Amino acid sequence: MRRLLLVLTCSLALAACAVPHHRDDVSVSKSAARQAEVTEVFDRYREVRNSAIELLDPKPLSTVETDAVLAIDTGSFEVSQRLAQKQEGDTADIEVTDVETPRFDTYPLWFFAVVRDKALGVNRVQIFERSSSVEPWLLSASPETLGETAIPAIRHSSGAALPVAADDGRGMSMSAQDAAAAYASVLADPDAPEAATIPDDSFIKQMRATAATNSALDGVQFKQTWEAQDVQYALRTSDGGALAFVTLLRQDTYAVEDGLTITWPEGSPQQAFLSQGIAGSGTLTYLHQVLLYIPGGRGDPRALGQYGGVVSGEDNS
Amino acid sequence: MRTWSGWALSVLGVVVAISGAATMVVLGPDSRLTTGPHAIETDAIAVVTAPKVIRWADVQVDILAEVPVRKPIFIGIGNTVDVQDFVGEAQRLEITRFKRPWDLDTRDVEGAPNLRGAPTAVDWWIDSSAGLGGASISTQLPDETVSVAILSVGSSNLSGLEVTLAYGVRGGFAKGAALLLLGLALLWVGVLVLRGVRARGDEDDDLEEEVVYVYVDEDGVEHEISAEEAADLEVVEELEEPVEAEDPAEPAAVPEPEPVAVPEPEPVAVPEPEPEAVPEPEPEAVPEPEPGPEPVAEHPPEHQPVAETVMYVYVDEDGVEHEVSEDELAEFEIVDEEDER
Repeated sequence: MRRLLLVLTCSLALAACAVPHHRDDVSVSKSAARQAEVTEVFDRYREVRNSAIELLDPKPLSTVETDAVLAIDTGSFEVSQRLAQKQEGDTADIEVTDVETPRFDTYPLWFFAVVRDKALGVNRVQIFERSSSVEPWLLSASPETLGETAIPAIRHSSGAALPVAADDGRGMSMSAQDAAAAYASVLADPDAPEAATIPDDSFIKQMRATAATNSALDGVQFKQTWEAQDVQYALRTSDGGALAFVTLLRQDTYAVEDGLTITWPEGSPQQAFLSQGIAGSGTLTYLHQVLLYIPGGRGDPRALGQYGGVVSGEDNS
Repeated sequence: MRTWSGWALSVLGVVVAISGAATMVVLGPDSRLTTGPHAIETDAIAVVTAPKVIRWADVQVDILAEVPVRKPIFIGIGNTVDVQDFVGEAQRLEITRFKRPWDLDTRDVEGAPNLRGAPTAVDWWIDSSAGLGGASISTQLPDETVSVAILSVGSSNLSGLEVTLAYGVRGGFAKGAALLLLGLALLWVGVLVLRGVRARGDEDDDLEEEVVYVYVDEDGVEHEISAEEAADLEVVEELEEPVEAEDPAEPAAVPEPEPVAVPEPEPVAVPEPEPEAVPEPEPEAVPEPEPGPEPVAEHPPEHQPVAETVMYVYVDEDGVEHEVSEDELAEFEIVDEEDER
């Protein structure tokens, strides 16, 4: 009797599988990408990047990269072309250690991934974005952190990573956009009022040291500006803070006295863009992608990693 | 409790069986309902369902879209976020309400005369198909918000569009049959449970009413006799032996002779050849003062020569009976006198 009831119960349960049902909680949203799609995106990215490296041509990169990443990598390729250097292929053993896919109700879609490069000992914290339904997935941010740097855990809601609007400062000392602007202000001026809320981290110290070196050149007036672009990607961390991807535009302007020319060492990116140096005035433009962590509560924002380089050089003389 | 369970199983079985049969009848052997072809009047380049129009999940849908003169056509189903982004800027006919079997509300949306890209070039369709003059999809609606899009390909439009829709449950007919069988099985089990309870109730009633008359002959063999025959005899012993209620395995065990047949161990009761022959015990016939120690169940009945003969017995300390003559009675003191009943 008991066996019979058990069989009947199981039969009923099986019969209930995949039974058509009316969905009352209809919401228009979509998970940015499924796991299989993420794997496909990574495979395609590496394939195209290796093709570009093999050809020493940045054009194929435009099919897998966009925005600041594309600009930085294109600059890197131009340097290699001008210096006749061959870049190393992206064949290193990498490991995708984390993938976070938020849900969106409209395009663009994007997802977050952490890729460990064992050879270099760094983590690439990447954002892949699909700007519209007819566009492919493109790498749009890729700051690098040291292997030992802890990346804050991401908060989830209904199984999906929780994005944060750039101007949403709830639960934090400031919003992601305000943090980006404050960070840029402190980079531009150590005595800026925002310095009280942005502690000096290694990136700030490195940039200030470079600026000090350039300012020390005799007969050269050096000016450095920083500007934070709009924050497009930010995720809520489990402590109530945010992990924001900030793109900073840096411009180094040199005004050289007559009769002088400043040059850069052979093989440097600056030399590749300004091979004749600067006589008169000139500008080097950089893009830096900074992974900015804004802790929950009253903690100060700080950079966990960055990726950047020269994207253009202009001799105004 | 068992009665309640029996009724519950029976009712559940009937409900399940009816739903299974209804499923089979409604869906038919192909497990789906088909409607169409239905003409949709439009000269747009896209016909799409608006967000939240499709609110069902796990429904098997088959959609056939046909256009005249072998115009190229595409049909696809995808997440509403994708579809809306794809057709969002295009001139289109939007289906704002759909009611089965085929009742539509639509609205024209102005927009660009072309799509953002080739529908066959994107990878997010859940199911899609393209063809000349017609295209069809067959898919199960996922548990997410989806939209259906019928799109013209190239420079043509969707004038003359006709749509045939079929919807149902994948394997629905077989599932209905399974439900029917399952319901019948439940009903059967319920009836079995109910019958078991009823049989036990009847048995209890019988035990209360049935009287079995037995007479034991000289050899100790029991004979069942009728009530009329019993009326002619003197009742010597009356036993009431109800059947234990916890034993459902023997509901019809009413005529068990054994309990009645075992003579009670009183020594005086042993010699009962004929009911009318048992004389009233003489008070002075039982010599021993001690009460009978143990019933002598195994003690065979003494041979009683004549019905009218009065037999005197004394029981010794070990419970062994000894027949004594009338002359020897004087040597004994009558201690007990048992009523044979």
